[in-house]
Parts: sequence; structure tokens; C-alpha cells
Amino acid sequence: MAAAKRHSPAYKFAFYAFMLASVVITLFPFVWMLSTSFKSPGEIFTKTPTILPQLWTLAGYRNLFAAVNMGLHLFNSVIYAVSVTVLSVLFNAMAAYAFAKLRFPGREKLFALLLVTMMVPGQVTMLPVFLILKSMGLLNSYAGLVLPGTAAVFAIFMLRQFMAEIPEEILEAARIDGFSEFAIFWRIMLPLCKPIIATLTVFSFIGAWNDFLWPLIIMLREDKYTLPVALAGLNGQYNTDWGLLMAGAVVVVLPAVIIFLMAQKHYIKGIAAGAVKG
Amino acid sequence: MSLKNKAFYAALGLVFCLGRAPACAGQQLNVWAIGAEGKLIRQAAELYEARNPGVKIVTQGIPWTGAHEKLVTAVVGNMAPDISQLGTTWMPEFRAMNAIEPLDGFLKTSALDTADFFPGARDSNFHQGEWYGLPWYVDTRVMYYRKDLAARAGYKKFPTDWESFYKFSKALKASKDGGYAFSLPTNDWQIFLMFYWQNGGELLKDSPLTAGKFEGTIDYLKRFFDEDLAPLEGGNDTDLLTAFESGYYPVFISGPWMISQLETSKPLLNGRWATAPLPAGERRASFMGGCNLVMFKSSPNKALAWKFMEFLAGPEMQARWYALSGDLPASRKAWLAPALAGNPQLSAFRLELDTAKAPPQVAEWENIAGNINDAVEEAVFGRVTPQAAREKLSARIEKILAKSERQQSGAFKIWLAIFLCLIPVSAVALHLRGTRTGTRSKYQPIAVLFLLPAVLILAVFLFIPIVASFVASMTNWNMYGVNDWTKVVFVGLENYAGLLRDPVFLAGLRNTLVFAFIGVPVSVTLSLAMALALNAQLLRARAFFRVAYFIPVITTMVAVAMIWRWLYNPEFGLFNLALGYVGLPAQGWLSNRWLALPSLILMAVWKGFGYNTIIFVAALQSIPDSLYESISIDGATTRQEFWYITLPMLRNTAFFVIVMTTIGYLQFFAEPYIMTGGGPLNATMSVVLYMYQQGFKFYNLGYASAMAYILFGLIFAFTAVQFRVQKKLEGNF
Repeated sequence: MAAAKRHSPAYKFAFYAFMLASVVITLFPFVWMLSTSFKSPGEIFTKTPTILPQLWTLAGYRNLFAAVNMGLHLFNSVIYAVSVTVLSVLFNAMAAYAFAKLRFPGREKLFALLLVTMMVPGQVTMLPVFLILKSMGLLNSYAGLVLPGTAAVFAIFMLRQFMAEIPEEILEAARIDGFSEFAIFWRIMLPLCKPIIATLTVFSFIGAWNDFLWPLIIMLREDKYTLPVALAGLNGQYNTDWGLLMAGAVVVVLPAVIIFLMAQKHYIKGIAAGAVKG
Repeated sequence: MSLKNKAFYAALGLVFCLGRAPACAGQQLNVWAIGAEGKLIRQAAELYEARNPGVKIVTQGIPWTGAHEKLVTAVVGNMAPDISQLGTTWMPEFRAMNAIEPLDGFLKTSALDTADFFPGARDSNFHQGEWYGLPWYVDTRVMYYRKDLAARAGYKKFPTDWESFYKFSKALKASKDGGYAFSLPTNDWQIFLMFYWQNGGELLKDSPLTAGKFEGTIDYLKRFFDEDLAPLEGGNDTDLLTAFESGYYPVFISGPWMISQLETSKPLLNGRWATAPLPAGERRASFMGGCNLVMFKSSPNKALAWKFMEFLAGPEMQARWYALSGDLPASRKAWLAPALAGNPQLSAFRLELDTAKAPPQVAEWENIAGNINDAVEEAVFGRVTPQAAREKLSARIEKILAKSERQQSGAFKIWLAIFLCLIPVSAVALHLRGTRTGTRSKYQPIAVLFLLPAVLILAVFLFIPIVASFVASMTNWNMYGVNDWTKVVFVGLENYAGLLRDPVFLAGLRNTLVFAFIGVPVSVTLSLAMALALNAQLLRARAFFRVAYFIPVITTMVAVAMIWRWLYNPEFGLFNLALGYVGLPAQGWLSNRWLALPSLILMAVWKGFGYNTIIFVAALQSIPDSLYESISIDGATTRQEFWYITLPMLRNTAFFVIVMTTIGYLQFFAEPYIMTGGGPLNATMSVVLYMYQQGFKFYNLGYASAMAYILFGLIFAFTAVQFRVQKKLEGNF
């Protein structure tokens, strides 16, 4: 892979044909969503739908912006997703560092306990968490919304797996140079974990960004609703305005795509490897 | 109240006042409404505020999705508003939770004429001689039919009784090629009940079901399926519109919302369709739906709350409300308004409303309704005789009603106390045992600081709730106990024993295992293959391809579901079109018992593989180039590179991905929840979906928790095996 290999034109063609075919399959619903958001109601459900709208209309978006205070709910969503992402990446990375590279009593047991909790379906803990937050007086607050999401066993596990692969020699060298554990964590470990941190950033941002039931339950006032909750309010019990719904879906998806585009730049080849060799 | 307590509550009060400043001033009401009404009620509130200066009404909208969960958590958390809109079938539950205020005291001195409400609308508010709510708006079901197609089959008027409707359906089907005569969803208990009531059947009167009438209804409906006049399928409103337009379904049953839906999304059909009353059996009976207004017991301002409810439910406001929202009035006087009386599409509704019936007022109704669906499905699919279906359903209903309410036993509190004490004791004991064997000198105390934030948060928001839900799994915690702890009884392992005999749970368990056994290998292999392709040196425009594969993960589930429904549509879906091109027969992708689960697996793999792909991509980046360089100098092929470098270097990641994907697939939920609701015949029911239904729809929280722990045991076993295999493999390298 590293050393340039010669590929026959036939191989190249087959490879690209395969890649493009798979992209058509994965992108199709997204394109569909985009085009539906510009269609008029009469065009949305037909026997032979077209990829592009025959009559372009902005009605879906106009209705959306008229019905929802977009700025307010966007603000709430950004606060929620950004604080969950920043705090959880930091807290989880810290814990993962301890589990991967530090020695303390009961390390394996505590880690096993964490793994075990991941196996309990999240739905059963929702009501107890609600009651705990209520007793702390944190209902209807950003703190109550964000706090439960700032540590995740999944992320600790993933980071630990990654950190465990980083050679001990790097850390030892730093310790000899007089680095504190925090300095090692911050200046050596985190930069080495860039690809995986980028991945986790995307996961936790998207998780919070698309989250629906939790913000709905914890926020008691409409002005604190996040975007998905506010958009869900536009659906009737039986009626659905699909143009409006898809316009909403586009508005929700775009920031997530941007975050992913930004994050994926950090998949840089072999930093860890370079460090060992150097 | 001690001084300290007082200070605490004063401080708390202060916090709340700061949080919602106007709450402390003057006359204020908090009112919740759901869906479109959540926005429209603002206009009614402004009207009331203008007439009653000094009153401030704070309205809040709740989306229909999640409204039930939101209301129940609000009741449990004692955060309910003064007034809320409530679905008619939710009334008994909230009454059972002891959450809503009886209204007879207010009605005595009120000018509101309760006899003016339709009898079916009264029934959902009236329980054992007392009013618990006021009807706000109603809806009922009628027939929608294509006038042009009916005329072509020789019918100028819509048939008015069962027999002629059957003949009409046969003529309709014979007059066109392809499609059916009638959409008769097999998973909709409301539709079954209407026919059952028309046939003279009764529910929970003396006996759960009327013998003979149930069988008669099944026999009548089964004729439509057996003679191919209607397909054996679940219903879906969006598909319905297109099918109605194409004539695939020239007749269907639906509510008043369909009028505007048809007018806006199928303008070409205007003038070619009409509504008609349901054909009568022994008697006329439709389904009474709609919403009520209730006052919560916790309301501090009941007199004012009543005034506003009275205002919304009165005939004057109901007629105005129709103009605002299109909701049909529950008040008969309001129907005299010209906008209502003069609308020809509404006359069928007006006729049905007089005799429309509401389901029985029992708190366990949602659970019973689910069982009606199952029984009707089994009978019309011909898996059991109608009589056997009735007997089984009757037994289920009796069992559901019997186990609902129980008295508190003292033993519960003692058990709970002992159990809670045991946790810290055993944790300390385990820890002491561990530390004695450790080598203290090498420990790095600084680790505590690194662990502190994450572990603290996990302890509060994960460990404690998990222990609490485990305790709950050994109680009968249900809706009667939601708002009243004295009704929660310790039942030991009764829930667990019950689950192992529950056929729906067992079906869910089987489906979940099938889903994981097929889904996990397919999904992980695909992710790895795609990650390798994305990493291939040959590839240009990497960022584009990475985003493209990740798009399904990001895209909102509603949009994904809409598209997959279209792909799987039996009439015009892409999959059936493709089958048609190669000459194969069309399939019911989501309605066939054997295809439904594989269809959902395909969708889940499509939606999820990008997630693992980017984990693999990130891991591939960390494999040093030097390794590849050294092996390629030795003349290794690409295949050898993969087997000797890539795969071994990905071992840790692959292990992580397999463990996580297995856990995720065993908690299979979103796809059946949104696509099939667990049907047909529970063929796509999963453990977590059943748990969610039991927990958040039927409020059998103890039973649902027990389910979570059985699933937990299963996941634990799987993960333990995976860890063991991983250890073994490591030893071999």
C-alpha cells in the first residue's frame, strides 16, 4: 500500500465502478431528502417519483422558518451538542488514559464494571435519571440536559483500546524528561490520539445533535427545546407536511455533515509510528 | 417543618421564580397542548386573556412523538401543568396514576351543558359517576371512496350495509385490473373494533368479549382477505394517498384529517372522491377519537384552570376552534354553525358522531389493544380458528386486568433496605479483597484525578439508575404506583418467571438473536471492506467518499424511514419494480412473516455500517507505513500485506467493533419501532421494542425492567465469550 503499486487500468476501472455504485446506494436517501424538501405537496407521493423536483418550491423552508424560532432552537442545540462533545471527549480521554497507562488498585475490576453497565439497555435508566436530576433541581436547565451525557463507557472503551497501542517507551521518555502526568496526557497522549478523538467528536456531536426523547423530557419550557424537538412539534397526530418535514431534516443534517467534514481531516497517517521511530 | 427545611424550600422557590419570572405574579396558568394544537392554542389563550384582564396563560406545545412519555415523567416528577390536552385513550391511565382532578364540583355551578357533548365523547371523560375531563375536539372514522371508480363498477351511491358493501367490493375489484377493492389494515385494532361493534359485540361488559359476535366479525373480514379484496398488510397513511390516487385502493377508512391531506397532496383527485358513513351491520358504530382537556391534581390554581377549560369546551369557542384548527367540535350545538353544517364532506362525520363509541375506560387499555391486534392478526391469517382466537384473547384480557392493582406489603420496604445496604458493603468487601493482593508500591495515585470526572458522572447517572431499575425489576411497579409509592409491591422473581412464559417476549428474544447473528457479521465485514477501500492508495477524493459512507449514519431516522418505506412498498417500491423486470413475483417486504425481519436487517446494516467504517479508517491511519515498507521490500503481495500486517494491527479495534456492534444489535429497536411496530404477527418484535412498549406505553415498569435484565444477561454472556476468544487469539500470536 505504501510503496506505489502498479494497477492495471481494468483494475482501476472496476475499483472506481464499485466505489461509485456504493456511493449511489448510500447517498440516495440523502439526495431524496434534499429534493423532497424542494417539492410541492402534490409531487411528493407519486407512483413514479423523480429525482429532481419538476416544480422547485421553497415553500417547505418558508413554512419551516415561519413556524419555528430557528435561531433560538439552533442556539439550544449548539449549546447542548458542543458542551456534551467537549466535556465528554475530555472526561472520557482522561479516564481512558488512567485505564490504559496508569496503575491503580482495582483497575481491571473498575473497567470490567464499566463494560458491564454498557450492557444494560439505556431505556430503563431514563426515569431514574429524570428523578435524580429533579432532586438536584436541574430540570429545565442546560446543566441537567448536558451532564448525564458527559461520560460514556463506549468512548472510554474505544479510547483505551487505542491508547493501549501507543508504545510505553514514549511515555517513559517523557517522564524522564520531567513531564508531569497531566503534561504527558495533554501534550503527548491527546495529539497521538487525534484520529480516534476526531471520530469520537463526530459520534458524540451527532448523538447529542439528533437526540430527541431526552431533551424533550428534561426541558419543561418550549423556549429550551432543541431543534429536533421543536421540529417534531410540527407534525400533526395524523397529518404530516412532508415538504416541511424534509426541509427540517435538511437543516438538522447539514451541521452534522460539516462537523464530519472538519473532523475527518484529522485522519492523518502514522503520527504514532513517526514518534516511535524518531 | 424545620427551619432548615424552610430555608431550603425558600431557596428552591427563589430558584424557580428566577427561572420563570412571571410565575410568581398575578393569575397565571400553564397549559400544555400537543402537536398542531400546541401552537394554535395560543390564539384561544389570547382571546381569553383579552376578555379576562390580569390573567396570563402560558401555553406550551409538545410533539405527538414522545408526548405520552413527557406527560408521564411530568406527573412522576410532580412538574405537571395546570391543564393539558390528553388523548381520549390515555384518560384511564392518568386517572389510575391519581394525577387528574375530578370536575363534578365545578360542573355543579357551571353553565356548561354536558348533555350537549356527543355520547361517545362523554364516555371517555366520565368514570363511575364522575367527570374527569372535558371533550375538546372529536374525530371519528368514515369511508373515503373514489366516486369515479365506483361509478365505473356500476355504483352511483356508496353501499350502506355489510352485505351490499361486500358485493360492492367484489364489483369494484372485478371492474379494474390489479390492486384491491379496500384497504383493511390487519394491525389496526380501531378498525377491527368498529366492525365488531357494528356486529353487536361488546367489550368488557359482563365478559371480555361477546361470544359469536367476535367470530362473526372475523368471518366477515376474512372474506375480504380470502377473496383478495384486501391484502393482508399493516396500514400506512402516506402510502395510502398514492395508492388511492392510482386506484390500487379505491376505498379506505380514515378520519377527518384525511380531507385536507387529500386536498393538498392530491389536487388532481379533487371532485373524484367523497366520504360516506361506514356500512352498518346490526347497528351503526364508528370509533370515537379526539382529545380531552384535563386539570392536574397538582394545579395550585384550580378555580382559574376550570374557567379556562369551561371556555374552551363551550359551544361558542368550539365552533371558533373549528375555524382555527379544523378540529371537529365535541359539542352538538357548535355543529349548527354554517361552516360545519354546510360542508358536504363533513356530513358523514356528523352522522357517525352520534353513535361513535369510545373504547372501555380501563387503565390497561393500551395493553389490551395490543393484544386485540395480535389476536385479530392470528385469526385472519388463519393460524387459529376465530373461536380459539376469542378464547385466547379473553383469557389474556382477564389476566391483564387481574394483575393490575395490588396492596403494599411491609416486606417490600425491608427487602429494599436490605438490598440497598448490601451494595456498598459488597463493593467495599470486593475492593478490600482486591487491594490486599496488589503491589502497592507501583501505584500512581494521580490516576484518581484522571478518573474522577467520568467516574463521578457515571456513578450518579448510570450506576445508581441501574441499581434502581434492578430493584424495580423485582416489583410490580406499574401505572398505579407511578404517582403513589405505597402501591408498589415487592414480587421477587415473579416478573422474570412471567417473561419466560410470555410468547411475545420469547418471539422478541428469538428475533433479536437472529438479528444479531446475521447483522453483526455482515455489518462488521462490510465496514472493514469499505474502510480498506477508503484507505486504498488508488482512491482520489477521499473526503467525498468518507462523507458519502457516513451519510446514512447522520441522516435523521424519519427521513430514512420514509425512503425505505417507499423502497419496500408492495405496489410501486423499487425492490418490487426490480423483481418485476426480471419476471419474479412482487413480495410483501414488510408484511410477509419471513421477509420482514431480513428486510429490517438490510435497512439496519445500510444505516449503521458507516459508523464502524470510520472507526476502522481511524485505526488504519495509525498503522505505521514503515511496516508496509519493510514487507514490500521482501516482495509481499497486497493480500499478504493484509493478512500479515493490516489484520493483526487492527485486532484491538476489530475486537472493540465486534463487541460494540453485538451489544448494539442485541438492543435492536429503532428500525422495528418506526417501520413495523413489531409486526406482522410479532415477526419483527425485538426485546427492547417490547420493553419500550411495556415500560412506556403500558407502564408496567417492573416488568419492563425485568426484561432489560434478561437481555443484560444475554449480552453479558456474549461479551464474556468474545473476551475469552480474544484472550485465546492473543495467546496464539
